[in-house]
Amino acid sequence: MLSLRIGFSPLNDAALIVVAQSLGYYEGEGLDVSLSREANWSNIRDKLSYGLLDAAHILATVPLARGLGLGPALGRIVAPMALGVNGNSVVVSSRLMEVFEGQGADTLLASARALRDVIQLRRGAGAAKVTLAIPFTYSPHHFVLRHWLAAGGIDPDRQVQWVVLPPSRMADHLKDGVIDGFCSGSPWPQMAEVNGDGRVLFSDPDFWTLKPEKLLAVRGTWADENPDGVIALTRALLRAAGWASDPANRTELARILAQGAYVGAPEAAIELALDRAGLILDPQTATFPWVSHAKWFMGQFVRWGLATPDHDFDAIARSVYRPDLWREAAAGLGLNQPLSDEKDEGGQAEVWALSAKPADILMPPNALFDGGVFHCAPVAHD
Amino acid sequence: MNVLIIDPDDARAALVAEGIRMDEALQGARIHHWPRFELAQWLDINPDMVIIACESPDRDTLDALQVANEQAPRPVAMFVDRSDSNTTAQALEAGVAAYIVDGYAPNRIASILTVAAQRFNLMQTLRNDLSKAKADLAARKTIDRAKGILMTSRGINEDEAYKLMRKHAMDSGRPIAAVAADILSIADLLKTGGV
Repeated sequence: MLSLRIGFSPLNDAALIVVAQSLGYYEGEGLDVSLSREANWSNIRDKLSYGLLDAAHILATVPLARGLGLGPALGRIVAPMALGVNGNSVVVSSRLMEVFEGQGADTLLASARALRDVIQLRRGAGAAKVTLAIPFTYSPHHFVLRHWLAAGGIDPDRQVQWVVLPPSRMADHLKDGVIDGFCSGSPWPQMAEVNGDGRVLFSDPDFWTLKPEKLLAVRGTWADENPDGVIALTRALLRAAGWASDPANRTELARILAQGAYVGAPEAAIELALDRAGLILDPQTATFPWVSHAKWFMGQFVRWGLATPDHDFDAIARSVYRPDLWREAAAGLGLNQPLSDEKDEGGQAEVWALSAKPADILMPPNALFDGGVFHCAPVAHD
Repeated sequence: MNVLIIDPDDARAALVAEGIRMDEALQGARIHHWPRFELAQWLDINPDMVIIACESPDRDTLDALQVANEQAPRPVAMFVDRSDSNTTAQALEAGVAAYIVDGYAPNRIASILTVAAQRFNLMQTLRNDLSKAKADLAARKTIDRAKGILMTSRGINEDEAYKLMRKHAMDSGRPIAAVAADILSIADLLKTGGV
C-alpha cells in the first residue's frame, strides 16, 4: 500500500475526497490515505509547499496564482482532475434582497444594476461602501462577484469594499450588518438562509452553467516519485464521482458529508445545498481538467489587475492542468476521452455533443449569464 | 517589539506567551492575545509579528492583508525564509504559522517560531496526558467496584478478587478494566427487580 496525506476544506465540494475514503475507493486502488481536515486555504497551500500534504482539495485559482508569481512559494503542483463544477452561492442581506425584489430584479444583470443604484444612493448619503466577503483573494468566488458587478456597471475596485472572511463567520457578519453580501461554497449560504441571516441571490449555475471551481492538487515531487500513485489516486476519485453523482446515493452522500470528520454541518443544510447550488460530480462531464478553464481564470487575474498580461499563459496552464493524466486514469473506467484539451467556454445554451473517443460525450449546457463566450477551442483545419 | 498571538485556545496561547517571556533572546517583547482576528483593532496593536494557530479559520483573513495592503497599516508578509525552512515546517506540523512585518529582525523570527512550535507540541502532550489520566481514573473506579462485587459474592479478600480478575483478563487477552466492566454489567442484570 502506498501511503499519502490528502488535505481538504470542509465544504460539499470536497465530496469526492471524502467519499473515496468513506467507501474504500482509495484502498481499492492500493492507497493508504490519511485525510487532513484544514480550517483554511492558507494551511493547504503551505502544507503542500512544505511536503506535509501530498495532495489536496484546492481552489483552482491558488496554483494558477502561484504560476503568475503571486503569493508565497507553493512548489510545483499538478492537477490531474477537477473535483466537480459549481457549488458556490452568493448571499445578500435581507434588506438588499428586498430592494432587488421591490424593483423586480430577477436576473443577474438586473440585480447588478439595482446594486449600482444602491451604491450611488449610499454614496450620496455619505454612508459606508457596499462590502462583500470572499473566502480567499485568489478565488473563483472573487472573480464571479467582480464579473457580476461589472456587468451592472459597477467598478469593483473603487465602488466596493472587499473583505476576506472564513465561510463559517460570513453569516454572522451579514446578520450584524458588517458586510452586505458574500460568496461561499456549500453548505454555508444555505445555512445562512435557513437561519434567517440572509438570502441566496444566485448560485454558480445561474452565473455559468458549468463553472469550474476546485481541483485535485498533487505535489509535483510526489507525482514524480509516484507516477502510478497519481493515476491510482485519480482513478479512486473518478470511481467516487461515479458513486456520488448517482441520484440514488444522494441521501447517503449527505449523511457522509455531514459527519464531524468531514464537513461537519447539519445534514438538512448539506442536502439543501446539494439540491440548490448546482454542484455536479459526474466523472464524465465535470472532472476533466480543461486547459481552457485555467486560461479563463488567468484572464480574470489580468482583467482585474492582479497579474500583468505578459505571461506565457499556455505554458502556465499546462504545467498545472494535466488532461493527459486524466485520460490515462479514465482509460480503464469506460469513460469517453475528450479529443481536445481546450474548448470554448460559454455559448452552449442547450445540451451538446463534445468530440471524444470512443464515443462523443453528451454535455450539459455551457453558458454564461451575460452570453459571453471565451474562445479557446482549437480551430479545425480541413 | 509587539507579538500578536491569534489562537482560539486560551490555555495554549498563555503557554506560548510564557515561552516567549522566558526566552532571553526575546526580552522586552510585548505580547497580545486574540482568540480571533479583529481587523478594527489591528492599528491599536500594530504588531511586528503575528503567530496564528493553523486551526483558526481566520488565517485566510490575516493572509489576505499582504495582498490588500491598503487596509493594513504596514505590509504583512509570510515568513518564507527558505534558509530556515525546517523551522517553518516543524511549526506547521505543530499547528502554528507566523507572519512578519517587512524589515523585522529575522534572527528573532526563528526564535519565536521555535518557541511557539515547542509550546504547541507541549500543549498537545499535556492534553494527551490529561485524557489518559482521566481514562486511568475511570478504569480504577470500575476495577474497585468489580472487586467489591467479587469479594461479596465469592467471600474472598480484596487481593484474591484482584488476582481473579487479572487471571481472567490474561486468559481472555483483554484489559483488566474491560473484565471489570463486564462484571459490573452482569451484576446489574442479576440484581433483583431486573427485567
